[in-house]
Amino acid sequence: MANIRQITAIQSSAVLASTIIGVGVLALPLFAVKAADAGAPLVTLLGMALGYIGLYLITLLGIRFPNQSIVQYSEDIIGRWLAWVGSVAMIAFFAVITALGAREFGEVVVTSVLKNTPLEVTVVVMLALATISSRVNVTTFAYIHNFYFPLLLGPGFLIVALSMKNADMINLQPVWGNDPSGMVPGILTVAALFQGSFVMTLVIPAMRRPDRALQASFWGIFIAGSLYVSIVVAAVGVFGSEEIKHLLWPTLELAKATTLPANVLERLDAAFLAVWVTAVFTTLLSTNYLTIRMTTELFRLKDHNLFATFLLPVIFVMALIPKNIFQMYAVIERVGRIGLAITIAYPGLLFVVALIRKKRGKRPNENAMEPAR
Amino acid sequence: MSMRSWGKSKGDRSQKAKQELSSPILERLAEMKVSGRLDDTIEAIEEAMQDDFDFVVRRFKAFGRFPAALLFLTSMTDQNAINQELMKPLMHKSSDLADAEIDSGQLHDMILNETLYHSNVGTECQLDVLVQGILRGESVLVVNELNTSFIVRTCHVDRRAIDQPATEQVIRGPREGFIEMLETNISLIRYRLQTPELKVRSMTIGRRSKSLVAVCFMEGVANPELLEEVERRLSVIDIDAVLDSGYLEQFIEDNHYSPFPQVQYTERPDKVAANLLEGRIAILVSGSPLALIVPAVFNQFYQTVEDYTERFLLMSAIRVARFIALVFSLVFPALYVSIISFNPELIPTEFAVAVAGGRAGVPFPAVIEVLIIEISMEVLREATIRLPQQVGGALSIVGVLVVGQAAVAAGFASPITVVIIALTTIGSFATPAYNAALALRLLRFPLIVMAGIFGLYGVMIGFILIANHLLSLKSFGVPYLAPLVPGSFQGMKDLVVRAPLSWMSERPSFLYPKDKARLSDAAMEEMKKQPHNALDPMNLNDQPKES
Repeated sequence: MANIRQITAIQSSAVLASTIIGVGVLALPLFAVKAADAGAPLVTLLGMALGYIGLYLITLLGIRFPNQSIVQYSEDIIGRWLAWVGSVAMIAFFAVITALGAREFGEVVVTSVLKNTPLEVTVVVMLALATISSRVNVTTFAYIHNFYFPLLLGPGFLIVALSMKNADMINLQPVWGNDPSGMVPGILTVAALFQGSFVMTLVIPAMRRPDRALQASFWGIFIAGSLYVSIVVAAVGVFGSEEIKHLLWPTLELAKATTLPANVLERLDAAFLAVWVTAVFTTLLSTNYLTIRMTTELFRLKDHNLFATFLLPVIFVMALIPKNIFQMYAVIERVGRIGLAITIAYPGLLFVVALIRKKRGKRPNENAMEPAR
Repeated sequence: MSMRSWGKSKGDRSQKAKQELSSPILERLAEMKVSGRLDDTIEAIEEAMQDDFDFVVRRFKAFGRFPAALLFLTSMTDQNAINQELMKPLMHKSSDLADAEIDSGQLHDMILNETLYHSNVGTECQLDVLVQGILRGESVLVVNELNTSFIVRTCHVDRRAIDQPATEQVIRGPREGFIEMLETNISLIRYRLQTPELKVRSMTIGRRSKSLVAVCFMEGVANPELLEEVERRLSVIDIDAVLDSGYLEQFIEDNHYSPFPQVQYTERPDKVAANLLEGRIAILVSGSPLALIVPAVFNQFYQTVEDYTERFLLMSAIRVARFIALVFSLVFPALYVSIISFNPELIPTEFAVAVAGGRAGVPFPAVIEVLIIEISMEVLREATIRLPQQVGGALSIVGVLVVGQAAVAAGFASPITVVIIALTTIGSFATPAYNAALALRLLRFPLIVMAGIFGLYGVMIGFILIANHLLSLKSFGVPYLAPLVPGSFQGMKDLVVRAPLSWMSERPSFLYPKDKARLSDAAMEEMKKQPHNALDPMNLNDQPKES
């Protein structure tokens, strides 16, 4: 029943966008402003462009090998042992990303809403949620993203729209920032937020028409990117770049500063954070699912459900390694840089080798996806 | 356990189970046949039917010379029909028969073709079939020297009148509801869909109840794969009795442990007809006034037939209200708990002060308070359903008004809590499907607990868990949240709002109907044209002038 390819292009865009939009949004304006103060929106835009290059490579590879995931076709391209090293690196990276995502959101929740709750509890709750939800097949995985997608965009753009009335255009000038020298590391940091787009490698083998994957990936990253850019614009416009440097999560402060018309809710930050649980959940689900599926493919396991449970304590322990928020953000930045090598350079290498060796997958067949359960 | 393996293990066991579940009396009779000797046959059947006070053996001489007997149950048969249509012609002495030589073959033909004034007569020689026939309310005619017996369908069981459906009332729409009799129920569907494409297949399920199950579908509309799967799932059911369609529902649903119903039930024949036309399949059981409809998706549970009979704009608004009520019944108390105990800064200050004032004397935290009131509300609701109608009204007044008021006055609960719980309960009653409302009402308790522990964050976690469960549910392969996920623009027209009928020219695509078109193109064209003003004074120039 479930082994036919049935994910549509719209669904894959939704998967991409809701994977990319995650907990990183809360700190994004701070990263961007640190790099190029008033030029933050430009940095975000360029970061998105860099992220798109990685996604573009993955999509091209996916279209070239429409029946296989990256673990499988990398073995065809560069040989079994080299590919094994690459796959293990990818698996480790996404396990770390999952851990850091859960930790970051756990910190946000503990700092701003549940002040008496231990950090471990919020982290483990998020991870357990992602683990339980990972016990599904790819089609249901896409349905889950499709369902939450409007729930992510709505509040995000609502906050932007409501806060725009307090924005001052002067805060956004000059567009390229006062000190363009910090641009490049800033772009790298922002591009790291788009690493979730790697999930496309799981989605393409289940797409009804893999040839439309390029469109899907463009729209996915465009939607997520425009939300990112508009949040940065709104945050910089409202607070100004100097003020943002003193805020840990400027997006949350933005939500705090806005009110709904007619005073329905006096403050929006707690409500925004509640809705943002879904955004964090979809991101964690994607990265966790990526880790699990790539591992099952690498070790050629039949069923990924059991493995999902075993992975939970490992990720939980990893999430608790950073000692505090500042160390955590330092780790996130460093891991993000390494991740760029994994999500952009490695697919780029695979693509070039595939071109040189003229490797190509079979045409999309009906039963390429996982066996029905 | 997946449906497939479940079906398989069931099949393996059926061989062994046969001895355990089946009726030993019938099995003993299975090898026996009607012999030419009348007394032997009667003795065998009487032995099977001994201790049954309503079992009657009427011995007589057919045409005045051939010994015969009529066997039937008085409680299940129409005595008048037996007297008039069987006994009277059989006992009539015909003068030209008096001396003629008649062999057994001729006698058989004569009785079947010339004597029995009844439209539904069969012949049978197997004794267990005869006994089963008697148990169904048929009359068995045994004649000496004949190796076959006649089974005449004389059954008559008292039935209640066709009535307004008690649980699915509408203001505009048909007023008929199903009753317990299967034939009547099928007739109610048949006269709504007078087309040869309406097919009713039957099977018998239940080793001891021998319940007749009818599977209704529209040929050329319903997907054959679906039909095959429904029949397969029904045919592997091996149970001693099917007392209601609810028994079948629990065997054919996809996920046995989900709180959400994956099969829709209804007591409205018009609803069954509408669903058959969409490409669904209806299952009726004798003895149950509720038809099952498969496959079911979530949006069916907040839709009513009235949505389609009344004007679309108004019914869309009402459907939105119903949807809000449904969401309310799930999350409202949980939101209240989390806002009161974790984020009171969200609500406007004046209101927060009022809430705090109301809660001033309440000794419990908000979770406990809400849980106590919720549970007592559930108890009240259950009590009002079970009580005789005469007392029910009194109880609801005492329970809801007096206890609610007194609880607030005693400082046991804050007035706003009572308001919230009342709204939630009313919201859950606004959901047309009782089983879906029940599922959401049950799930609200874990949500309240989550809200009490983690606040809004916990509510969201609970909501995500519920939503993910819904997203992974399937009913006969149809995703439970279709047509929202996976999205279908055609299906969205009938999701939260109800589009005009002319927009919904296709059957729901997630059911993969064979014939998609519902509305002819010509009719669509006609609706787009300017209406013709038949009574426009400009056109009516031969009208007598008013002076």
